[in-house]
Amino acid sequence: MKERIRGRLGPVSKVSFLIWALTLTALLPDRQLVALLAVVLAYGFLGGRKALSPLLRVRFWVMILSIVVLSSLLIGEADWPLGSLRLSRSGLELGGWMALRAMCLTLAFSVSVGSMSPSDMIGLFESMGLKGLGFALGVALNLLSVLGEIIETTYHTLRLRGGFRRPWTTVRLLLVTVISNALRYGDDVVVAASARGFDPATRQGGVSVLRRADGVFAMGLLGLGGLLLFWPL
Amino acid sequence: MTKDDGVDVRAGYALRDWVYVAVFGALWGAAEMTAGAYLHVLFPPMADTFLVGLTMAGLGAIIVMVGRQFVSRGGAVLSMGIIAALLKALSLGGMKLGPMVAIFAEALLVEIVFLPTEPALHHHYILAGSLAVSWNFFHKFVMMRILFGKGIEEVYEKMIVDGGSVLGLDVNQAVMIIVALFLVRVAVGAVAGQLAWVLGGAVKRRLAGDA
Repeated sequence: MKERIRGRLGPVSKVSFLIWALTLTALLPDRQLVALLAVVLAYGFLGGRKALSPLLRVRFWVMILSIVVLSSLLIGEADWPLGSLRLSRSGLELGGWMALRAMCLTLAFSVSVGSMSPSDMIGLFESMGLKGLGFALGVALNLLSVLGEIIETTYHTLRLRGGFRRPWTTVRLLLVTVISNALRYGDDVVVAASARGFDPATRQGGVSVLRRADGVFAMGLLGLGGLLLFWPL
Repeated sequence: MTKDDGVDVRAGYALRDWVYVAVFGALWGAAEMTAGAYLHVLFPPMADTFLVGLTMAGLGAIIVMVGRQFVSRGGAVLSMGIIAALLKALSLGGMKLGPMVAIFAEALLVEIVFLPTEPALHHHYILAGSLAVSWNFFHKFVMMRILFGKGIEEVYEKMIVDGGSVLGLDVNQAVMIIVALFLVRVAVGAVAGQLAWVLGGAVKRRLAGDA
């Protein structure tokens, strides 16, 4: 069931969901945020285990808990003694809502754009008429490993030539060499793409990431958004 | 807009332009994914937003402004920023809203300076660098507002009052401290602009030497 739903919704749905969640996080009163978080979690559950991976990270929970703890220490009157600490009830309550808002936003990003593959992103750009940007993203992704090699080679070359005796000159030489070599590699990419007749200005047919299910999903989001906004909880 | 190196800046991008956008976007993204990630581990965000943010903002501004010297077209810097932000999103650390917003905002600010100023001159680089890095000052306020919603003003009010009492300063002096912190960002940005101008020239000379 999960696989079927996931397979029908394209990258457009993921972006729509992110925009929807961001808008509602900004507009909804505090109490309705619980319902929004439930929707985000449900969407993330449908998106697979990876989509909700922030929930398994210690760093995520440290961030959320630190909001609650710091708020109870910093905001409002310290009217709640707890051992040697004096906490604030109003600060604790406010911190709880702030933490909930932070959870909604972080998870909304993770379950939407965070779960998109590079090919999804490239396809999305191309369907929006930004074929050049999609192409550039693809080139950049493939460049990362090459850049690593360029930086490593340049670093070791400078080190073996005793470059670290003059640190500022070395940093300048490192940057100039890395950028120059990256641009030379870029020129090779241009030659290779030209040889294959690739033109970023020409739009090729058949590239469409907008599916019927995406439209239905967007309508559903609109309805649910209206319900959350205007339904008195 | 005028022409630069015989190329109409309003015309469509050539294949080489897109590849160079990819190169500089990848350089910025790689810097964020490696140096940015290490610095965030060494100085956790809750404890330090000044050092890490300022370093990465300065480095990003240098890379993107060197890139602007090789792709003198409207929207090039913004495209580099989008690519860097997406690479950061696709990195092993996962989706992080803060750095993505910062990258996009810095690219947008640099783009705003360069868009009506063609050909870009030395002082445009200084201005663009200052503007881009000064975002680092507002970033924390904006992110706190986006992430935590209402109530954050009270946190800052309390922080300023507490900080003032610890340092033996009154609120007016605390405002002066905030202004000084902002000016540090502007100065770092100006240095980044200067370095980008010099570095871009050096790279051009190196590549011209090959030809």
